[in-house]
Amino acid sequence: MLKTPIPSKTENLANTAFDALIRSLSRPGRIRDLPEPGETPIIAALLDRECRVFCADPLLMPQVLASGAMLSEIEEADHVFLGALTDPDALRPVRLGSDLYPDDGATVVVRARLGEGQGLRLTGPGIETGETVRIGGLPDGFWRLRRDLVCYPRGFDVFFVDGAKVIGLPRSTEVEVL
Amino acid sequence: MSLKSLTRDWEAMSYGFLDASAKREIRRKMIKAVAVPGCQMPYASREVPMARGWGTGGLQVSLTLINPKTRVKVIDQGADDSVNAASIRRFLARVSGAPTTLDTLEADLIQSRHRIPEEKLREDQVLVLQVPNPEPLRPVQPNMSVARQMHADADYGRMWLQLYEQIVRSGRVMQGASYPSMVNGRHVMTPSPIPRWDVPKLHMARHLTILSAGREKRIFAVPPYTRVEPLVFDDVPYKVEEHGALTCSRSGAKGFFMNEIPQDDGSSKYEISDSEYGVKTIRHADGEEVRLGETWYRNGEMPA
Repeated sequence: MLKTPIPSKTENLANTAFDALIRSLSRPGRIRDLPEPGETPIIAALLDRECRVFCADPLLMPQVLASGAMLSEIEEADHVFLGALTDPDALRPVRLGSDLYPDDGATVVVRARLGEGQGLRLTGPGIETGETVRIGGLPDGFWRLRRDLVCYPRGFDVFFVDGAKVIGLPRSTEVEVL
Repeated sequence: MSLKSLTRDWEAMSYGFLDASAKREIRRKMIKAVAVPGCQMPYASREVPMARGWGTGGLQVSLTLINPKTRVKVIDQGADDSVNAASIRRFLARVSGAPTTLDTLEADLIQSRHRIPEEKLREDQVLVLQVPNPEPLRPVQPNMSVARQMHADADYGRMWLQLYEQIVRSGRVMQGASYPSMVNGRHVMTPSPIPRWDVPKLHMARHLTILSAGREKRIFAVPPYTRVEPLVFDDVPYKVEEHGALTCSRSGAKGFFMNEIPQDDGSSKYEISDSEYGVKTIRHADGEEVRLGETWYRNGEMPA
């Protein structure tokens, strides 16, 4: 008789984290809860030896390395962990993919303060009419740079992490700074 | 660093059958698929204990999303009790311990072959469609590399030409299922071979739809509240199957997508394709307490 497998702690973490990630990306602007604070659950859900990662936060480095991912320059990385962003130009060389392969665009994880700071109005797939959200702790010019870089379907997708809260912002979302 | 820290505890089987690295790969691709709605993302498509072409793509997505609390419903052409649906449902439950259901309203995850249930899906529900042929351009461009370039250029002229030729030759669009549809105004996708009846259900829907082709190794998605517009000409409006006036001979349900059952005398009987909705209608008529959800179509019409 077959015994039903029981999910391990790592499997649970990755599964719950991905649930939060995919739902946050499907409904841009809606805050979701990660199972643990910080980037740990995102690393557990997504990273392994097949990934090339750029990590600007030295405190995060041991976890990234433990996942088996290869460290690379930001131009080559498919996952980019920027930590708390101070200079928007740090984002400039991020991979955007091509019209042929939009999936080559990077997944970027940035620390931010959710629910305070700059007011934004989001429209696009996943949003019925419009979503108003506040994301703080980002450097001036971040949204202008995003608008300049993202040329749908080329672009990058961002997860804003604040403790255990996360907001997903796919490249398909139009952002209007209020 | 010790050997213990590098290895994991022995397990008879990975949770949910797929190993962790397969799941991570599908997760990464699902994120990109949601970010660019309707665009086909290549993925590895691992072996599962089922032949390619029998729903392995959908199965891999379900196995990635599933946890012991996910309530699963599996349908095949609307029916919960066909061999394919029953086997997939039993397999999902066995390898994950997830509870199963036949009721659309109770399900968290619905894996489907070629139908979307008649009851409206909620925001928290996920629909996984099995896709046999993910490339809408294949009838007009057999070379996959050229087809990819056409998607990159949003060059869908041949798609329109194909529809035009059908109208000229036959007087109407002959495309019965997998009607090519424009997603988010940019990528044309095939919505898997769902009937034309079901395509409007994807437009600005409340739920997330993930479409996965295991044999062809492609995954794409329609996030909630995303425009899905069937390709039509201004003067030839989109038409769904004329099932609006048909009545199910078993349950009496009216105004839904029907299966035609030919009779010996040459006539036809009709049976509702969404089997569980039919069952619920019968129970309701018998005075049992059942919850019939809000349906997409009302009196055989899709409200605009």
